[in-house]
Parts: sequence; C-alpha cells; structure tokens
Amino acid sequence: MHLNTETKPKLLWLQGVTCNGNSHSFLNLESLEQLLDKFELLYHPLLASTFSLSEITSLQNSCDILIFEGTYDPEFTRNNIPLKEILPYYALHAEYIIALGTCASFGGMFQSLAPERNSGLLYKVEEEGGPLIAYKKRVINLSGCPVHPEWLATTLQMLLAKHTIVVDDLQRPRELYSSLAHHGCTRNEYFEWKVDTKGFGLKEGCLFYEQGCRAPLTHASCNTILWNEVSSKTRVGTPCFGCTEPSFPRTNYFQTKTNMSIPQDVPLGVSKRAYLTVAGMAKTFHIKRLEGVLIDYKRDH
Amino acid sequence: MITKEIIDHIEGEASLYFEMQEKRVDFVTVVFPHFRGMENMLKGKSALDALVITPRVCGICGHAHLMATVRAIEDAYKNSGHPIEVSNKAQNMRELTLTLEIIQNHLKWLYLVLIPQLNNFENITLSLTPLKGAYGASLATKALAILAGQWPHSSYMIPGGVTSDPTYIELMQLRAHLEKLSDFLEKETLGTTVQNFLSFESCKNFNKIASDVSSVEQALFDLRMHKKGFSHDDFIVLGEHRFTQIAKSRATRLYNVDITKVHVEDAFSPQEKSYAKNALYKNAFYETGPLARLISKDVKLIKNMHRRYKDSNYTRAMARIYEMVYLLQHSLDLVKEIDITQDSCTKSVTLSKVTAQGIGVVEAPRGPLIHKIKLKEGIIERYEIITPTQWNISSGTKLKPSPAQKAMIGLNKQDAEFVFRTFDVCSVCTTH
Repeated sequence: MHLNTETKPKLLWLQGVTCNGNSHSFLNLESLEQLLDKFELLYHPLLASTFSLSEITSLQNSCDILIFEGTYDPEFTRNNIPLKEILPYYALHAEYIIALGTCASFGGMFQSLAPERNSGLLYKVEEEGGPLIAYKKRVINLSGCPVHPEWLATTLQMLLAKHTIVVDDLQRPRELYSSLAHHGCTRNEYFEWKVDTKGFGLKEGCLFYEQGCRAPLTHASCNTILWNEVSSKTRVGTPCFGCTEPSFPRTNYFQTKTNMSIPQDVPLGVSKRAYLTVAGMAKTFHIKRLEGVLIDYKRDH
Repeated sequence: MITKEIIDHIEGEASLYFEMQEKRVDFVTVVFPHFRGMENMLKGKSALDALVITPRVCGICGHAHLMATVRAIEDAYKNSGHPIEVSNKAQNMRELTLTLEIIQNHLKWLYLVLIPQLNNFENITLSLTPLKGAYGASLATKALAILAGQWPHSSYMIPGGVTSDPTYIELMQLRAHLEKLSDFLEKETLGTTVQNFLSFESCKNFNKIASDVSSVEQALFDLRMHKKGFSHDDFIVLGEHRFTQIAKSRATRLYNVDITKVHVEDAFSPQEKSYAKNALYKNAFYETGPLARLISKDVKLIKNMHRRYKDSNYTRAMARIYEMVYLLQHSLDLVKEIDITQDSCTKSVTLSKVTAQGIGVVEAPRGPLIHKIKLKEGIIERYEIITPTQWNISSGTKLKPSPAQKAMIGLNKQDAEFVFRTFDVCSVCTTH
C-alpha cells in the first residue's frame, strides 16, 4: 500500500496518556516548516490544524497517516470520547499508523498505571497485545522517550517518497534502530580498553561498568543523529537509560548491575564468554593516556 | 444554566463549566480530567530513579521537574546529616539550563497560544507564524542541550552537581546559539535590540517599535485587556534563583514566606471529577509565574504597568513576554560565569545512608514547582509534586475563587477563555 501523493496526505496527531514530550521534541526539528508543508495537518495538540479536537472526536473524517503519541488506555478520553472509540475509527482507513514514542510502541512510562489494560498500539511491553495487532503491517513503531524529531521526519519522508521501510522484530525502521546508542559515543575508546569513569561530571571514562549505561544494549541512533543537533546523553556524561527498548522504564538507572564486578548484561549479541575474555585481556594493559585527564584546566590556575 | 467548554491547544486538556448570567460569567469551575499517578510510580524506587522519571511528568517543563528532584534529594542528604556541596559551576549550569527552558516555553506560548487566540477576536488581524515560535524555542533548547545532552527529558542534574563537564569550545558554541536566538528575537519578535527592550520603563515605549510584540501589545489594548482579567493581586514566588526573589506580595509590597505554610486541598468541581488539587499558602490563593517573579524583582516596566493596569490580563500577558527577554539577558550573563576549572560534581556518601525527608522548590515557567521526597535508606517511601498550575488554575468555590476563576468572572465567554489561556495552562503537569 502506498500513499496517494497527488494531494497532500492528511496527517492526524492523536494522543493517549502522555507528557507531550514527543510533540515538543518534534517542534525542535530544524526543517519543520518544509516537512509540514508536505502534509495537511488535520489535528495536532499544539500546532494550528484544520480541525478542532471536538471535530476530530466527532469521528466524521479520515486520515492517511495517523500518529499516535502516548500509552493506549482504552478508557482514557479525549473530549470525553474514550480512545477505544477514537483509535479504531481512524486506524481502520489510515494507510500508515505511526506509534510515536516508547509509550505508544510498548506501553512505556504509563503502562504500569493500569497494567491489565494499558499497552502500546501493537505491544504490551514485549508481547503482542495491543489494540492494532490486526493492522500490524501498517503500523510503524518509533520508540524513544522522547522520539528524536529526525526519526519521525525521516519516517514521514520515506513514506512520502514511497520507500519500503524495512523494520526489525519490534516493527521499528531498521534505518533508525539497526545500530546501538553506543555507536558514535565519544567515550568508545574507554569502552574498548575497559577504562571506567571515576565518577559523574567527568569527560573521561566509560559509563558502562558502574554508571548504568545501556548504550551497548540499546537500539537507537542517539550518537549518530545528535540530539538538538548538538549532543547526546553519553556526550554529557549521563548514562543511556535504554529508553527505546520495551524494558523502559527500568530501575536503578545510574548503577550497573554487576556479578563479580562484571556487568550482568553484556553488549548485545556478544556471548558472555567472548566478552569476559576480551574484557579481561583489555584490562591487563594499562594505557596511561586513557588514565589521565584530557584537559587539565586547573594546572595553570 | 451551566455550559461546558473543552479547552485544547494548551498543554493537555481542561474543561470549564461556566455559569452565565446575562452573557457574563457569574461563576466558573475548572476540571482537569486526566490522571497519571506518577507519584505512586516512584514509591519503592531508588531516589536517583526520580531523576529519570519526574522529567517525564511534562514535555514542556521537564527540566524544571529534574531540578526540583535534585534539590529535594540534596535536601534529604542535608537533613540526614550528610550535606552535599554543589560547586558554583554546577549551580550556574543548572540555573542556565532551567532559564533556557523557560525561554522556550514563553516563546511557544507567544506564537502558538497567544497570537492565534488574539486572532480569533473580531477586528484583530495579526500575522500567524506559529513556526517562528517553534524555531526560536529550538535555538534555546539547542543551547540547553550542549550542557544537558538533550531536550526534552534530560537527566543531567544529579546530587552533587551535573554529569557534564563542558569545554571552552562547548561554551563558545552555547554562546553562539544564544546570540543567534538574540538576533532572531530582535529581528522577528521585538523590533528593537534586547538591551533597548529591557530598558523600557513605560507602556508608551511600545509605540516606538513595530514588531510582533508591539502588535500584540496593541491588540491587548484594543480588546481592553487592561480593564479585564483582574485577579486577587496577590503573588507568590517560592523557588530560589538569581532571576527572581522569594516573596509573597500584596500588589507590589513584598513579604517573607515560609514554605511549610503551603498546602493542598481537593478542587471544587461538582460537575465532573478533577484530578488536580488546589495549592494554597496559609489557606489563600496566590498568582504565580512571570508577573509574580518580575514584581518581586522590582522590574520598572512591569511595576509601571501594574501601577496603571493592576493585575489585568494586559499586565499578565506582557509580563510573560518581557520575562522571556529578561531571562535571555540573564542566560547570556550566566554563560560568562561558568568557571570550567571547578568540579562539575562532588562526591557524596552512598545514598543508602540517607533516611530523611527533603523538599525541592524551583521556579518553573508557570511558577513554583515543589517536590517533596521521603527516603528510607535511599529508597523512596513517599513523593509529592505540587505544580504551578495548581496555584493559578485551582478550582475554588464562588466565595473563594482561585486566581484564574477570579480573573474570568464578569467577562463574556470569549474573553474569559482568552484570560484562562493567558495563565499559560499546563494540564499535563497538573494531572501528574
């Protein structure tokens, strides 16, 4: 199925249980104006749009692309109409449905509020159990808390250009989620030689061994498509929290679970034996350059 | 007869139940229909997990939540006999990124809420350029992200300081983004330089410029907003920052405050369950946000506006615009003060030694944001959040209306809904 692009495709942005984080993240997009020009915006919670919320919830229109932000709770209402009526109505005829954010993809932050009924559009955490499972082929999951604006822009542009979107096992575009948040991390050298950071607030050292960093286990392009075009969590010394994965929200974000001082979860796809062998070897070498400070601002003071 | 209006295109959704008499609002109650239960979600988790969870209360002011959390945890450390010292560098960085979040908020409010709403009135024709607001805001968040990694939903503040350790290059980039924002505002929003704008002392100064801001100012006058939307004329500022002063004020006269006198009670909403609680100080309602903060700082233009037009809707709206520019200047000053030779983060005792209560108060875009934490060996036993919208847009009774209710009474419906939006409603925060 492909979009009819002779007229501007109609875009509808609907919200479930949400913090508005993806809506605000999207407003950071540098090419926002150019992108929006290509669509007719039927409704957006912040931007001017063709219809009001009450017109949208009167269920008389249809859209080509449905963006759903937030956790799906069937009983949650917009303008007093429950989502269990609004979502299926628009999903039925939409050519594509984008589950925007970890909440819409897997349940996310607000899954635990009513775990028996809340979910993402396709998944309840990792299991298929969302309301749109019958439409799986038309649903694209863009996980992340929040989603990077370029990830959404890329997906929309690919749909417009009629590119085939290759997805992973969790229905996320491989274009955006095939590599790990670890890729492009400026602390990679410390990771290679297993030099951990000596604490928070330092430029030096890897955050994987003690500070809870999930980047080597998390599918995301945060360190290749930078946040706000300038940075990322690990670049400012904050561990990756694994927010694009179904397991988010987790616990103990700032601490690595270890067994005998080895991280309990090793990098994705690497066997524990392989990891232990390489880590053990790397640790036997002391590389002086990686043990000192990069810039000693204090020296001349 | 009571009529219900759904208000959207705010942060989240709210319902207003109007009781009209001869086409004037006789009384109105406010309902925030959604509930998320984030305080419960925090129970039983490590205190540090709150640094990741509370920013997700709100997409537009998550950074304020982060700072309230870190202050609450540090206060608990102090109360457990293990005070934490935070370097000036880290404090300046925290204040800078918080300030930048407020700037992006006000810019979005101006272009995505105020101007489109003004335009809904007959005889008002302003140019609708919502994406200008988004673009300006993105420059502020770009500068913010240099220190905080990303916006929204950064967690770079931690007990003892911040996780980032900026270089000179990064500080220069940050400054460049702020200068770009400053140029953008001067050209696209103010129609004059930031410095000249900040030197304004009287409303008449706006006559000399031709810009989005002067058009908005004129439109507010044309709609007689300087004669409408009066509230209690009582203000409160509770967060400690250099850009404002902690105080409550009766009109422009300042008094000391004691944070322990803040309490919450159920909203008055007979028609429908509201999940927002009213926030009060010594059992009275206070208006919070830009107007309160600028009055406490004795800012000349705002004081003059207040002298002539009291706490009218004109003064309220113009204070929000003025604060955006005022804070841009503050953030440019703060960048210069970041001394990168200092530590970003100091070490503290292990969290498991902390059994105490703590309180963190910050000024979020809309006013005081209060987080209270109770820790047992570093684990959260109780967490309580009181947001700014709970102050401004409480739902009180006819005898004791909240600031927003009071401001709407006596107006026609269109004016009342407009006044409601000039409080910059955040339903998302309020129904945490």
